[in-house]
Amino acid sequence: MQDHDRELRGHGRRRFITAAAAVGLGSLAGCTGLGGESETETDTSGGDSVQQIGSGRSPFGDREITGGVSIAEMPDLSGELTLYSGRGEALVGELISFFEDYYDDFTVRPRYNSATELVNQILTEGENSPADVFFSVNAGSLGALKDEGRTQSLPTDVLDLVRDEFHDPDGQWTGTSGRARTVPFNTDQFDDSDIPDDIMAFPETEAFRDNIGWAPTYSSFQAFITAMRVLEGDDATKEWLQGMQDLGVTEFNDEFLVSQAVADGEIGAGFANHYYIQRILAGRPDAPLGTAFTSGDAGSIFNVAGALVLDTADDADLGANFVRHLLSAEAQDYFARTTFEYPLVSGVDPIGELPSIDELSPPEGLDLTQLSDLEGTVRLLREVGVL
Amino acid sequence: MATEQQTQTGDGEDEQPLGLTIASGAVAAAVIVPLLWLVKSALDVGFSDALALVTRPTTVEVFLNSTVLVVLVTAACVALGVPLAYLTVRTDLPFKRFWTIVIALPLVIPSYIGAFAFVSAFGPQGVFQRLLEPFGVESLPEIYGLPGAVLVLTLYTYPYVFITTRAALKSMDTTLIDAARTLNHTRGEAFKRVTIPQIRPAVAAGALLAALYALSDFGTPAIMKFDAFTRVIYVEFGSFGRDTATLLSLQLVAVTLLILTLESQIRGDERTTTGGRSGSVMRLGRWKYPAIGFAALVAAVALVVPLGILLTWFAQGVAETSQSLAFQPEYAFNSVLVAAATAGAATLVGLPVAYLAARHPSRVSSVFERATYVGYAVPGVVLGLALVFFGSSYATPIYQTLYLLVFAYVIRFLPQAVGSLRASFLRVDPALPEAARTLGETPSGAFRHVTLPLVAPGLLGGAALVFLTTMKELPATLLLRPAGFKTLVTHIWTAYAAGYFGQAAVPALILLFVSGLSMLVIITQEGYDVK
Repeated sequence: MQDHDRELRGHGRRRFITAAAAVGLGSLAGCTGLGGESETETDTSGGDSVQQIGSGRSPFGDREITGGVSIAEMPDLSGELTLYSGRGEALVGELISFFEDYYDDFTVRPRYNSATELVNQILTEGENSPADVFFSVNAGSLGALKDEGRTQSLPTDVLDLVRDEFHDPDGQWTGTSGRARTVPFNTDQFDDSDIPDDIMAFPETEAFRDNIGWAPTYSSFQAFITAMRVLEGDDATKEWLQGMQDLGVTEFNDEFLVSQAVADGEIGAGFANHYYIQRILAGRPDAPLGTAFTSGDAGSIFNVAGALVLDTADDADLGANFVRHLLSAEAQDYFARTTFEYPLVSGVDPIGELPSIDELSPPEGLDLTQLSDLEGTVRLLREVGVL
Repeated sequence: MATEQQTQTGDGEDEQPLGLTIASGAVAAAVIVPLLWLVKSALDVGFSDALALVTRPTTVEVFLNSTVLVVLVTAACVALGVPLAYLTVRTDLPFKRFWTIVIALPLVIPSYIGAFAFVSAFGPQGVFQRLLEPFGVESLPEIYGLPGAVLVLTLYTYPYVFITTRAALKSMDTTLIDAARTLNHTRGEAFKRVTIPQIRPAVAAGALLAALYALSDFGTPAIMKFDAFTRVIYVEFGSFGRDTATLLSLQLVAVTLLILTLESQIRGDERTTTGGRSGSVMRLGRWKYPAIGFAALVAAVALVVPLGILLTWFAQGVAETSQSLAFQPEYAFNSVLVAAATAGAATLVGLPVAYLAARHPSRVSSVFERATYVGYAVPGVVLGLALVFFGSSYATPIYQTLYLLVFAYVIRFLPQAVGSLRASFLRVDPALPEAARTLGETPSGAFRHVTLPLVAPGLLGGAALVFLTTMKELPATLLLRPAGFKTLVTHIWTAYAAGYFGQAAVPALILLFVSGLSMLVIITQEGYDVK
């Protein structure tokens, strides 16, 4: 699946963060360059910034981290780790080199590809897989490996770093950052109040006729439909899909493009993960692009990117400790700052004009592991003729 | 395939084929064996699921879509490639060498970059629409769907037909045409009765490469939102329907075999020619300018659009460098390294297959030759996974090393070497090595001293073709490269996927430059033909 993170160019992010300062992020004076990864990289590769971490100051920019556990308080990492990363190098490469620089005796052998291709690769490699840790953009691919029995339990103290709903109930994987389902809308065409807060009402909303977009081959979208199947049943989901098609929904290849089309006014609204909107606004702060949330339904699920240790890991402790580091205050701050995601460790706040996690209203009682049944969803999408 | 050379090669060489047959069979087996993984996975699907899947209406529709796509692309490639080849070989077109290079160059552009560029340029709010707005152009014809997919695939695969046809035209004996003309045939008749039969195998070979490329390409149909076979396979893989995806891939292999059969019908009677005596050149006269216009139009559409888009990206984004995306010269070196290794290896293992098929045509030699084409038509991701399975199960020492990566490339691009070599062997008069034999050369001595120098241009041309397609390959590279091994295309992919278009532009331009150089090799090597 075409599920790699996308991000804007650095200059856009820089402008965005400058703008964000105005909405009360704290003092960013003198840090106009902090959004550019080249600058932050320079910061982190020097020994000085590594020293700073103990002081509670973010190594990725100038803000205080008040919550979470610093890597200074975590067990050291040493040795070689093979990481299969479904998260793009442009987004997480910097974080990984930060860990490598922090520890003298620690190297990561990363393999970057789309999350699903890596799952397929791990399954195909079988017991000979060289992978130690799998780092993924969604709970679905983590669940898929769990279902195939290819994972091993994470230590309780690692799992306890995040709230219960953000890790696997059986302790096989944990979320590392969060992503909310949203409805990007064009503010020239709609007000926030025009967007229904019930996802099931969309097909009947005439204002969206020939004026709304989705990305049905995109796995986040498929996770959203999977959630709808779990919450509303297959028949209602089928009806919803049919209704959207009758409404004249436009198809895009991924949700970055959906959000861009909304920003351009090509369509009035769409379905996308929250950070795509933030990344576009980072590049074009004046874009008429708003974020709407539905309430307590499939349209407002909160999915996670996460990590797990494979059953084939050479050194399970090293793997688990690496995952622990992804939940460190520094890494959580990095996700907030660089990928515009929700940190999952409390005390590390999201960046941008986003409601806090607690203000979101995801559906109750939905277990993220249930979102791994993408095959059933694809079958349904086919039956209706969406795919 | 009863051909002249069969009678000419006579009994003397009957002992030689045993070793050759074994070598050729071994190569075919090495190419096919990893694909057995497909069969194994398909068997895991279970009969009832499999049956339901194959007879599903969407599958049928997708099958039809793919068929239409392949037929149209192939036809369009022949319609562009053959006349352009004829113009650059047989007429007094001014600046022939320049046109030859420019017309062949689109082959260096990966079709996914081409597709993306066309969407950026001609999409609903694309660059061209904005450029043309002052002239009152408010909308452009729809680029998405079948028309866009056919356009892009044709523009980036017609050079296969162009190159193979050119080679055949250059080495063709033009005295035959002159003879036909003295017998009062018009130019058109001479072309139909003399030229066409002689170049048909070469055209068919180029068309086969184009057809199989169109069948296996994923990027173009996906970007053009056209539901071809590869897209369904991709969706299945993407939803962890790995077994179902492999079943569909088997269907794709079946279609491939069908195309290979069709091609062998079209290829028809092949004859060995006595070498190029290209004297007569057609005077274009007042057709000169339309001819130049035609060549210029094709080249401009195929080259200027993607180059323009890449340069736009370059201008917009190069200043903002994400550290992990900073371009390093090492990527270009890595690309050249694996591409050169693949070119060498593919030529080497292609030799026995091509020689056997050309010189000792039989059911067995043709099966071996055809077998080498199967890997070419399987989507890269399927072949990649097959080799992940074989590598991690049976070849752990070389798994995720460059050896396995090069092996994957050889499986994927061997037909380009075999096709070019086979055509070259067919053009060598068997009487020449025979003569060497009578002068006391051993069979292998005759091959080394007589045949090999004569096929050298074809050999180098084939190697260069393999080189430049290897440079462009993406899906198998992503699955099989050693950890941390980055090439130009993996870097383009990383940068593009992250939305750093500016970072994608630099390696893409370098890729085009290096591949362009290998295209020069193809063209200059052809020069040896002209004596």
